[in-house]
Amino acid sequence: MNETDDRELREYLKKEVPPTNAELQRDLWPAMLRRMEARERHVPWFDWVLLGAMAACVAFVPQMIPMLLYHL
Amino acid sequence: MELLERFAHGDKDAFETLFRQYQGEVFGWVMRIVRDRGAAEDLTVEAFWRMHRAHAQFDPTRSFGAWARRIATNLALDQLRKMRREVPLVVDVADVPRVNPAIQRETRERIAAAFRDLAPKLRVVATLSLIEDVPHREIAEALGISDAAVRVRLSRAMKFLREQLKEQVPGHERN
Repeated sequence: MNETDDRELREYLKKEVPPTNAELQRDLWPAMLRRMEARERHVPWFDWVLLGAMAACVAFVPQMIPMLLYHL
Repeated sequence: MELLERFAHGDKDAFETLFRQYQGEVFGWVMRIVRDRGAAEDLTVEAFWRMHRAHAQFDPTRSFGAWARRIATNLALDQLRKMRREVPLVVDVADVPRVNPAIQRETRERIAAAFRDLAPKLRVVATLSLIEDVPHREIAEALGISDAAVRVRLSRAMKFLREQLKEQVPGHERN
């Protein structure tokens, strides 16, 4: 394989898969804001686990309700 | 305080300024790799989201553009891994000049297949170097590898493509 072959392959590929010179056609800031807001509203998984644990306590050990209320 | 320092301290206005300043550049770079407008837009937003989250790790004495490009390149590489074997190489017809409209559909599909079969990390280098004429140094910076590693990947990609095209497009083979 020599430089001529490499150049030929390069030209051949360029012909088949032309370079793209795409420009951004719209402002992405609104999408960025939506992305950021969605993340801010996102509840971490461990919060759900904690909530589930509390619900289980209330359901199976109702005697813990006063203690839970005390800590809230 | 300078814009980059304010960004590094978590200033949202500074982030918006940088976003507006660099979104076109990041989009253009990602587009060169994934070659799909919709995916490139999504990846641009995702890349800036990661920059926003990692603002404290950014060194304001360094180039924001280079940092942004590095993050965007990693995301684009992940996208190529997801797209591999699922989606053919997409070339948005509206975005590229048709150099030779007479090229047969079958031949185009074969070239696309050869590219699709390239390992993503080789495909990124091949696309940027062979098709987009991006200098090795820029590719190396964006991928976080050395110039020598770029040359090695390019050489491996060319070897693979050469073999594929010889098999699939007999006219390509030199005597």
